Amino acid sequence: MEDLLIKIEKRNDVPTTLYFFTPFIAIILTIIGGGIIFYTLGFNPIEALKFYFITPISNLYGFSELLLKATPLCLIAIGLSFCFKSNNWNIGAEGQLTFGAIVGGGVALLFYNQEGFYILPLIIIAGAIGGMIFALIPAILKTYFNTNEILVSLMLVYVSKLILDYLVVGPWSNPEGFNFPETRQFSDSARMPLLFEGLRIHAGIFIALAAVFVSWFVLYKTYLGFQIKVSGLSLKTAKYAGFKGKTMILIVFMISGACAGMAGVGEITGPIGQLHRMISPDYGFTAIIVAFLGRLNPFGIIFASLVVSLTYLGAETTQIFLQIPQYTGQVFQGMILFFLLASDYLLFFKIKFQNFNKNELRH
Amino acid sequence: MATDLRISNISKIYPGCIANDNVSLQFKSGKIYALLGENGAGKSTLVKILSGIISPDNGEVFLNEKNLKLSSPLDAKKNKIGMVFQHFNLFETLSVFENLSIDATEDNKSLRVRINEILKKYNFSIDLDVPVLNLSAGQKQKVEIIRCLLRSPKVLIMDEPTSVLTEQETEELFISLKKFCDEGILIIYITHKLKEVLSLCDEVAVMRKGKVVSVSQTQNEKVETLASKMVGQKLAKIKKKINTSKNKDEIFKVKHLNFYSDDPFETNLVNLNFSLKKGECLGIAGISGNGQNELFQILSGEIITPDASIIFRNKEIAKLNPKQRREYLMAFSPEDRISQAAVPELKIYENVALNNFKSSNFFEKGLVNERKIKEHSKKILSDFSVNTDNVELKSQFLSGGNLQKLILGRELITAPELLICYNPTWGLDVGAINYIHETLIKINDEEKSTILISTDTEELLKLSDRIAVIYKGKLSKIMPSVEVTPEKLGILMGGGSID
Repeated sequence: MEDLLIKIEKRNDVPTTLYFFTPFIAIILTIIGGGIIFYTLGFNPIEALKFYFITPISNLYGFSELLLKATPLCLIAIGLSFCFKSNNWNIGAEGQLTFGAIVGGGVALLFYNQEGFYILPLIIIAGAIGGMIFALIPAILKTYFNTNEILVSLMLVYVSKLILDYLVVGPWSNPEGFNFPETRQFSDSARMPLLFEGLRIHAGIFIALAAVFVSWFVLYKTYLGFQIKVSGLSLKTAKYAGFKGKTMILIVFMISGACAGMAGVGEITGPIGQLHRMISPDYGFTAIIVAFLGRLNPFGIIFASLVVSLTYLGAETTQIFLQIPQYTGQVFQGMILFFLLASDYLLFFKIKFQNFNKNELRH
Repeated sequence: MATDLRISNISKIYPGCIANDNVSLQFKSGKIYALLGENGAGKSTLVKILSGIISPDNGEVFLNEKNLKLSSPLDAKKNKIGMVFQHFNLFETLSVFENLSIDATEDNKSLRVRINEILKKYNFSIDLDVPVLNLSAGQKQKVEIIRCLLRSPKVLIMDEPTSVLTEQETEELFISLKKFCDEGILIIYITHKLKEVLSLCDEVAVMRKGKVVSVSQTQNEKVETLASKMVGQKLAKIKKKINTSKNKDEIFKVKHLNFYSDDPFETNLVNLNFSLKKGECLGIAGISGNGQNELFQILSGEIITPDASIIFRNKEIAKLNPKQRREYLMAFSPEDRISQAAVPELKIYENVALNNFKSSNFFEKGLVNERKIKEHSKKILSDFSVNTDNVELKSQFLSGGNLQKLILGRELITAPELLICYNPTWGLDVGAINYIHETLIKINDEEKSTILISTDTEELLKLSDRIAVIYKGKLSKIMPSVEVTPEKLGILMGGGSID
């Protein structure tokens, strides 16, 4: 009785071009997978995919919405890339975003009846600090108490969401709001300037773009970036070279938290304009996909944030036109990640089939 | 029923190394057999073949004249060959009983009865319902042994079983093994510890470089005779000029170095004291796993031992990290080239930047000075005859020898006063070994000092001015290398003592 024995071996020389090309393969496979799903639901797959990927950005407003949603994704993913590159698994960007929004929103509420150019920068800084502090919790627990940062950062997401819940229902709720779970509207000085009349896209996009360039510079041109790269590849080597491991963990978490916090502020001072329960459709979690789809490369992340942003918009249009639940967005995001991981596996490992005789085992 | 295990002409060849070269051995029940040899002698390969983990390129195994096909560990189990590895295969969070019941074929009730019988018979005291993580290393080993006993084995193979045990636990283990032997189980005991061979075993087979070099009755052997068989008589042909001048300055001194680890697979270091003069090479011999790893990491600053005193060039450096120690002109070449000394995924010049010493200006004001690093890397590549001049090449494309040259070059180009290296020629070909030996002799000639931690006795005798042996975390007295013979080293490495 002949049987196949599967052997998995690591490939040593993965070409860089192929490494950056596989995300495209993943996207193509996602589109095909999406088509199959639409088909099984009884829709014409080409038509449905057109509603999903083309219709949302076929006009100026749609395109501006694409940029609007890509902004927080890109900013958070840039921050996460610092953590992931150095082998720190910060899964709690959603919590850091929420806490940043709470602190920034608190400052905005403090100035609710005041005007002034200084208010917005103050809110942004407060949001960054808020996110930073919240990210420092898993970082400090990891460095000094050996806890697992994946669990701690993830669980803290729910802590921050509950704090937000408490604040918007309780102490910070709008006194003239008929007990709706939301705060006052922020003053105009506390809002991100809009870039174009009639579109929601706001100045937050410049923060994201600045983050891209700064992170590129830090990661590739500075000693800190070099240390992050080495620690990510081999912690043993980092220790041998004498890098200050603990300080570095704190720094990458702070960078990551600050970016997520600013993304949170961008949402509440941009399209939302107040604090309420639903300030983010899980941007913090989705940004993890963005970071990996962009290969943890700053410019790759710009591209990835646009693609993933489109999955949010597509979900909305297909809901409107085809009456499919909005959660298809998450299905598509999940498929992107799945296909990316799968093609990465094939990229880094080769699978060998060997013939092998089962009968030998039986005696 | 008597058991007869015969290994016939077993060969196993790995790329670049012959692990087993035509090995034939015969074992009969009623005796305890020792398989003795240094690291890399081929003991583990042979054991893995017997337990079905790897299959030999050539040769056969016979149990009671039946030809065994051992193509998986399952086959070994079916043929009643039991195996206790050096590293335990237990689920830490499950209880002892749960661990034992995982691959049992009977129901829990009768299994418990049988386990209790075994516990009683061999006087083991283990609570079956506590999680394995609460057990000592010796108790965990007993669980592994019980697991084998449950299958009423004909052959029991113990791989370096005492490496994680205390003296007390070792004695208990020996008593149990002798009992098993009396009951007719054939016992094969793998070790590099000479005393254990003499006190426990009836017959000993010595392996060296993949071959069986001798089979004899232990009663006819002494620590000395076993040691010379294990290490081999071959002496280094070229020997460096011994550094005799006694009135040179002391450059490095370690006092009261103690290290205690919670990890049972790490070795505790007990009160190490040694010093080193300018231009001298101190060799530290030993079978691997006797504390060399820990010693290297403490000397390099990867592990900080605040209570010890390490004086280098009249400064106390015990609390400094590796980078700070480099500033004082120390250099380090670890054993593990590909995951510690260098990162294979990084380009050559990036690996060079890992030794970011003060005057290098590799990183000015926190920014990467790529031009400077590349210039410096080019110099290393040509000065240390690495066979490429492309600093952009990923290090994974360098051969072991060239990678080691790059690492040594990176460490030496700063003209350090002290180089600490650990198995610098491990796994290299003869040409690269010679080059590295010449380099190490050259730096001693230039009045720089070296500490050479190595498991290769030939290399130590060739390069060292003085030699000490590390055994179970303790350092022997330091001997001038002219007085050292391979036999003496062998005895000390095997835990024996010389006057």
